[in-house]
Amino acid sequence: MGEEWDGKSVITARNLRKMYGPHLALDDVNLEIPSGAVGVLGPNGAGKSTLFKCLLGLITTTSGDGTVLGYDIRTEGDKIRSRIGYMPEYDALDPGLSAIDQVRYAGELLGMNPAHATRRAHEVLEYVGLKDQRYRKIETYSTGMKQAAKLACALVHDPDVLICDEPTNGLDQRAREFMLQTLRRTVSEGNRSVLMSSHVMDDVQEVCDRIVMIHNGKIVVQRRIEDLARQIEREIEISVWGGASRMQQELESRGFVVRRLGRVLRVDRADDSTSRKILEAAVSADVQVRQMQEYVPDLEDIFLLIMEKLGAEVRGTSDLMTAAHTGDDRDE
Amino acid sequence: MSNDGIDIEGGKTRMEVAYGAGDGDDEAKAIVASKEAELGTIFEQSYRPWDGELGPRWTRNYAIFRHHVYGMFRSTGHRHYHPMVRLTIFVILLFSLMPVLMLFLASLTGDGYMADVFSRMWGINRYNLWGQVLGYFPRNLCCWPLLTALVVGGMISDDRKNGTSAIYFSRPVTRLDYTAMKYLSVAVVLGFVIVLSYFIYYTSAIVFNGEGWAYLVDTLPMFAGGLIAGILVVITYTSIGLALSSISQSRFFAAIAFLSVIYGTKLLALLIETQFDTSILYVLSPYDCLAQIGQWLLGIDSNYNHPLAFSLVSIITINAACIALLAARVSSLEVTRE
Repeated sequence: MGEEWDGKSVITARNLRKMYGPHLALDDVNLEIPSGAVGVLGPNGAGKSTLFKCLLGLITTTSGDGTVLGYDIRTEGDKIRSRIGYMPEYDALDPGLSAIDQVRYAGELLGMNPAHATRRAHEVLEYVGLKDQRYRKIETYSTGMKQAAKLACALVHDPDVLICDEPTNGLDQRAREFMLQTLRRTVSEGNRSVLMSSHVMDDVQEVCDRIVMIHNGKIVVQRRIEDLARQIEREIEISVWGGASRMQQELESRGFVVRRLGRVLRVDRADDSTSRKILEAAVSADVQVRQMQEYVPDLEDIFLLIMEKLGAEVRGTSDLMTAAHTGDDRDE
Repeated sequence: MSNDGIDIEGGKTRMEVAYGAGDGDDEAKAIVASKEAELGTIFEQSYRPWDGELGPRWTRNYAIFRHHVYGMFRSTGHRHYHPMVRLTIFVILLFSLMPVLMLFLASLTGDGYMADVFSRMWGINRYNLWGQVLGYFPRNLCCWPLLTALVVGGMISDDRKNGTSAIYFSRPVTRLDYTAMKYLSVAVVLGFVIVLSYFIYYTSAIVFNGEGWAYLVDTLPMFAGGLIAGILVVITYTSIGLALSSISQSRFFAAIAFLSVIYGTKLLALLIETQFDTSILYVLSPYDCLAQIGQWLLGIDSNYNHPLAFSLVSIITINAACIALLAARVSSLEVTRE
């Protein structure tokens, strides 16, 4: 570990700035990431990949400084990469190799002795659920197995920090659950830190307890998910039958802030009397309220709300996904 | 039969569920589903830490080198070379050792006319040493470019195609180390065939003919000249081949492009020479530049009209340009998706 590492913040950045010619990719990024699982969110082109490259010490920053595990990202990139496991988004596997050889080679590239790398490759392939398939060539693997093999490559040297770029890309439900469970276990049982970028908010919520959100190269949020959810104003969600526009107008005329999604209306909960006032408004507007409940915001809501406040036109996180994210480009 | 395996909503019986025999006011949706089958636990997932030491820079570099070179000899565990590629390289190696067999046969004939013929055809002299590394068809003209095309084909283009550059650059492997080790791997495989066969040829001539120290001292300068020429062939072909491999995502492109560069430039220069009686365009042909330098190193008459300096400058320029291209393309290899 770096000499100055206090053991608290795994990643720090101060006024980190990266420019590609005239294009500002990272704009005065200040980060303080403690150990644990952290989700990195942001629309396409927000600067997530550039941030990862800076953290891995692969590109020189224009100004500012930062550390990963106490190592300086400007001068100690090789030491950082020795202690980090990186799982890239796209296939980064040699299809002509078996999984065991691929993982062993990944270990050897870190400087592991071939015998140790082989033994460790067996262990991590078992951990990621490929024990029985480890002698098969990667070209015969499904997308889920390839993702698991990439994870094994990243874990082979037992890194302190695991950086996963879209780890559930193209996975079916079962493979996705297993991948998320494996990442959770790496944090809880292995006591390792996971930095995970994903467009699937459910995945981030399932693994991470904290998020970092990037927009136009700036860090707009870095907080615990719980704290963020608590900050969002509580809403009451009602489903109405007939006259949703009438109901919206009635509520707004009574001073409520209303968000409408078809016949579902979400009304800011001011106090305990809000429910009663909503029903009174329904009577006035002559509409049926079929369902009424307190709405608990999830990470997707938080993300969309923040994007909305930033003026970004994102209707849902599915807008951010490409064929690669959904698995439509699978070659199986 | 027990209902344990079935999740019945609202406590309905199987019959009610199957035929919808409720009171008619139920929600019109499927209400029964068999519980998700309990999957057999095939292993207990547990995270195992590793507290070993990571080796220094040379161990990482050696791993890259070994991965690419061992793959030539072993079918599993290292870089995959197609069996036909390996077979072709083996045939090229045998081809390059053909003079050794002829020298052996010559040593069996004793003195006389046949021995003289064999000696002139395959014995150690300036022309034959030049021919071993640069000259005669099909050894040099076909075999060395074919050998290079087969070896460099996927050396970098495969990393570009499969995204495996991330495997290297997300680890403490620098781009310089990556390029140097790839270069060294190709050069060693080419050297194994081109330079080693030259060594064997020279050594076997001495052994089969029972030559002494005087002969060795007499021929060593020639041998050294040929050796330098052979090393130049290896370096130049490796530079061109790897540069071509780095600009594409296809093994086939790199291989065909290499053959096209070697044969295309030679053919073009030959056509110009035939039409205009000038050899100047041979400075564009890497093979002919090497051939002229080799002729000078071994002290034999040049086949070309243009000065040797042109070929020297050309070879240096070709190598520099190829290495610059290689460096630029390796710099553009990404770790993260763009």
